[in-house]
Amino acid sequence: MPTFLHILLFKNKMFWKIPSQNTSSLIKNIGAFIVFSSFAVGAYFFSQFITSYSLEKIGIGSFLFHRFISIIFFVFFITINLGNIVVSFSTLYRSPEVHFLLSQPISYSTIFLIKFLDNFFYSSGTLFLVAFSVLLGYGTYFHLPWYFYPLIMGGVLVPFMFLAGCIAVLVLLLLMKLASKIHFKKLIVGVVALYCVQVFVYFKITSPIRLVEQVMQHYPNVDVYFGSLDAPLTKLLPNFWVSQILYFFVHNEMGVVATYVALLLGITIVVFLLVVIIGRKLFYSTWLTSLTIKALSVKNVERRNSFFSFEKKSHFSPQTEVILKKEYWQFLREPSQWIHFSVMMVLTGVFLLSVSSLNIKLDAPQVRGLIYLVIFVFNTFLLTSITLRFAFPMMSLEGSAYWTVRSAPIFPSTVYHIKKNAIMIILLLLGISIGLFSNLSYTYLPMLPIVILLTMLCIVFTIVHLNFGMGSLYSNYLEKNPIRIASSQGATLTFLLSIVYLIVVIVLYFIPIVELFTAYAKKTLLYTEYLYYAFGILLCVSLLIVFIIRNVGLQALKRDF
Amino acid sequence: MITLRNLVKKFNSFTAVDNVSLTIEKGEFFGFLGPNGAGKTTTIKMMTGLFTPTSGEILINNFDIVQQPLEAKSTFGYIPDHPFLYDKLTGREFMYYMGGLFKIPKEQLKENIEKYIDLLELASWIDKKTEDYSQGMRQRVTFAAAFAHEPQTIIIDEPMVGLDPRSAKIIKETLKEKAQSGTTIFMSTHILEMAEELCDRIGIINKGKIIFLDTKENLHRHKSQYDGKLESVFLELTKE
Repeated sequence: MPTFLHILLFKNKMFWKIPSQNTSSLIKNIGAFIVFSSFAVGAYFFSQFITSYSLEKIGIGSFLFHRFISIIFFVFFITINLGNIVVSFSTLYRSPEVHFLLSQPISYSTIFLIKFLDNFFYSSGTLFLVAFSVLLGYGTYFHLPWYFYPLIMGGVLVPFMFLAGCIAVLVLLLLMKLASKIHFKKLIVGVVALYCVQVFVYFKITSPIRLVEQVMQHYPNVDVYFGSLDAPLTKLLPNFWVSQILYFFVHNEMGVVATYVALLLGITIVVFLLVVIIGRKLFYSTWLTSLTIKALSVKNVERRNSFFSFEKKSHFSPQTEVILKKEYWQFLREPSQWIHFSVMMVLTGVFLLSVSSLNIKLDAPQVRGLIYLVIFVFNTFLLTSITLRFAFPMMSLEGSAYWTVRSAPIFPSTVYHIKKNAIMIILLLLGISIGLFSNLSYTYLPMLPIVILLTMLCIVFTIVHLNFGMGSLYSNYLEKNPIRIASSQGATLTFLLSIVYLIVVIVLYFIPIVELFTAYAKKTLLYTEYLYYAFGILLCVSLLIVFIIRNVGLQALKRDF
Repeated sequence: MITLRNLVKKFNSFTAVDNVSLTIEKGEFFGFLGPNGAGKTTTIKMMTGLFTPTSGEILINNFDIVQQPLEAKSTFGYIPDHPFLYDKLTGREFMYYMGGLFKIPKEQLKENIEKYIDLLELASWIDKKTEDYSQGMRQRVTFAAAFAHEPQTIIIDEPMVGLDPRSAKIIKETLKEKAQSGTTIFMSTHILEMAEELCDRIGIINKGKIIFLDTKENLHRHKSQYDGKLESVFLELTKE
């Protein structure tokens, strides 16, 4: 225990140590503080508004509202869980710090525990801030007492996220144990398939659309508890417990709240103890397995005469050619990149197939408009997340080898543009696919799919520029792990800026879309020009952002290396 | 040819390089010596475009590195003290990558790459990913990549880091041949014997200032004032 505390103390010291205090870092920190604070305030008001709008304006009822919260928490849980599996692999098995600690007189279980906690808290700081702001907005709407906030933060949200992290490490330990018997790549494919099935099954059994239809049959008496509509399996999931805690807190049934809090805490403690026990038993042996896997993977790379072979001639200029080929191979040979990308693409595919066949049998046009808007927001959020994860780290991933670019006869801005354009094309294609699929059910509304498609392209264009510019400004050439780069302070700031941008999009499109649906339902005149105005304003705002952030990014590339 | 004129680099209030002026003629092998933190790497980083000088001028083969960076950079090859490579590329791919950045035609590049793979004895592991290389292997690949575009000037920061005796000998022989064939070489090193063996002229930098600059012949005269060793001259000049 003293060793554990000693290391934690020094880790804490390192965390708070400010590397330099020059003017630019001061401006950066002040800027970051302003954005973080503004976002926290924005998240608070947004959460309050969404709660009030859903319950008062649309009148979906408290039960349905909390079931939506449950779905959001499910997605949140899976995201934290998957992210932690990938990051834990780097932290526990690839980190040079583990090599160092293993050479010191420190027990394996202490090293395991330190790296596990290090991993969890490193990537969760911002999530706590966001969660607290949203909670505050939610609590204010329902006029909840002060003790609601510490109880939910400390007794519900932190354990919930911690549980996701613990399960991630258990899955990883199991994977590494099996890796001594089964080929590692096969195991990864298996895990990816398992998670996809899990998500598919969850949405199949919860069936949000069916639930909405069933509850809405009782309209306007939708404020009662429709517990019988919940699929039995979902009741075993932590996201369900969280939504139940919130629901019953709002309805002042503290006995039920206490039961669910105890259940969540109890399960989290049990799973954490399991992590400690299994970690103590398996960490060192699986660490040795990871070394064996690495040693066995050292072999000659086959020199194929493929399109991306460096030896093959290309129609591009030599500089463009080698940069694109380098990016391609770096991506394809880094498991944390292609696995994460594949998972995201599969999940996106499942989502697109679901929304493309969406047929909501609802009379309330405002609800239909709102559902359309929610899907649109989710689409843009999905694209933002993918962009943050893959575009933001691209300049940083030049790493310590960036000297090659800086000492070669090529402008860093050229490298910046080649890389940015490459990912831009991929993301634009993805944006078009998402836009097309999610609008297949809405072709009856003239111009809406086209304007939304153009809007998606505009958003992708802006978000990619934002991520590239900020990625250059906050480039940390020492960090090799793309996931850690995508969850660094700069990335968090970029994500918050992207969210602010998306809020601007929602504000611009909210009334035109809802009005369009209402007008169509009431068979009155369709004011599609409101959509054009919204798009026009968005285009101007986007171009301004692109202009500013592009210059910031390019300027940052000229820094001393 | 390399010209440094009144070169200054400041990091806030700290002056790392203080008004350094130097001229290295075409085909000259120049040794740049100095204790740790003297300003050697900072000078080299300014010469190669990794740092921007606070003031002063750097001409590489008559091109200003600040005003005409692309022209200047296309004439030299750089070997840094820490040979960081792209981990996921093989050594061969890295060499093609560097050749592409220098816009070397593919056929010529292929020929040069094969030549330096043979010369630097890289064949047995050149097609493995560089993340599996030792420090010495990385260093040798960096040399091969720098040589592959046949630069007029070679700038080297600590060439022997991590090299085994055989590799060190190969590198020394190759550098000698390059110098004899007219390539200008600017080499920073801690290994005094190597500087003495290879270089035509030696400069010593301490606390950002050049404190010694002379030919090998004159250096011998300096040495005779001490105990005949370059080490003694170096220690005397750089003592606190």
